[in-house]
Amino acid sequence: MSSKTIVGALAVLGVVAGALPANAHHAFSAEFDAAKPVTVKGVVTKFELVNPHSWLYLDVTGPDGKVTNWGFEFGAPFSLKEKGVTKKTLAVGTEITISGYKSKSGQNYGYAVESTFADGRTVKTGGAQDAPTVQPATN
Amino acid sequence: MNTAAIKNPSWFKKIGLTLLLLTHVFAFSLVTSNADAHDATKIPRLANGKPDFSGIWQTTSAADYDLEPHSNRKDAPPGPGIVEGGEIPYLPKALEQRKKNFENRATDDPALKGFTLGVPRGIYYPEPFQIFQRARDLNIVHQFGHSVRTIHTNNTEHPEDPNDWWLGDSRGKWEGDTLVVDVKHFNDKTWLDRSGNFHSDALQVVERWKFLDPNTIEYKATLTDAQVFSKPWNISVILHRHREKNFQLIEDYRYTLDYDQYYPPKPDQK
Repeated sequence: MSSKTIVGALAVLGVVAGALPANAHHAFSAEFDAAKPVTVKGVVTKFELVNPHSWLYLDVTGPDGKVTNWGFEFGAPFSLKEKGVTKKTLAVGTEITISGYKSKSGQNYGYAVESTFADGRTVKTGGAQDAPTVQPATN
Repeated sequence: MNTAAIKNPSWFKKIGLTLLLLTHVFAFSLVTSNADAHDATKIPRLANGKPDFSGIWQTTSAADYDLEPHSNRKDAPPGPGIVEGGEIPYLPKALEQRKKNFENRATDDPALKGFTLGVPRGIYYPEPFQIFQRARDLNIVHQFGHSVRTIHTNNTEHPEDPNDWWLGDSRGKWEGDTLVVDVKHFNDKTWLDRSGNFHSDALQVVERWKFLDPNTIEYKATLTDAQVFSKPWNISVILHRHREKNFQLIEDYRYTLDYDQYYPPKPDQK
């Protein structure tokens, strides 16, 4: 396959992706802020394996002992399954550390670039092509 | 009486007429019951003898406006509802949510965003859907949103490690000529109608599909969701076969509407 064909194929993919709903399936930059890296550690409260993006919710205990529920966007269920991430991996009550970026809205949700599970595995959990890599958190 | 009858010839006439009428009624009933029997055997079937639901179907019910009995309002015609017993048995907290949904239905109904309708809403949503059937599965293509749902009829079980699917995971079995489908592993992002009736991701739907005649399906479903309802409840709708000449599904993919202005591409657009 020539590089031209690959570019063409990517362009077609881009058009297909672009035709999907802006409110449900989107680029990283539409929802999340690359200037607000975040790392949180918490306990899973809900894991939605939903197309086109999965969502993980976790309770994070702050330095003051206050518990806040955060939601993080994960990649599509199939891509997560390929990496060995299923409902069983992230059952309710499981500990997880997520590195990613906060939402532009400033609410308690964000984009999960990578996650470290209780078994020590670190997996790329985000699915957006335009997402930046992990940066030191500023939170 | 016999003597009187013999003496009076009009009795013979009366008796004769009555007999004639009775014979006619009897003959007519024979014809009707024959026709019924004929229709019942005439329902379409696959090569393996199972009923073949292939075709384009749609309900005439007002169920999607509100599953429960309702009078007319500005955004809905009246309807008797399709819930057995009339009301959906909500848990108290869920009933509050349902009321909120109703208040915000003009903006919060997921169907307005073009989202997949879910099960069973896709069945009684007022747009046609098409069934393609073979021995191992039925594939339902909904006109709205291009959703495709597969009902597996190959004796397989639900997956052990499921996703939270928009249309759940459907496994069907035959009970005589009735297709019984167990559907579960949903997400909680769909509604049951445009009035705000809803469910959680713990929803389980058991459907019963049965031909009433070759062009009519009786669709029944039992909905169970321990997080939202106090007990299982049932719905029932009739589906009619589209028989208009050349009838077909037409794309109703709402997400693309915003992009229509760019198609077909014009030479001066970059």
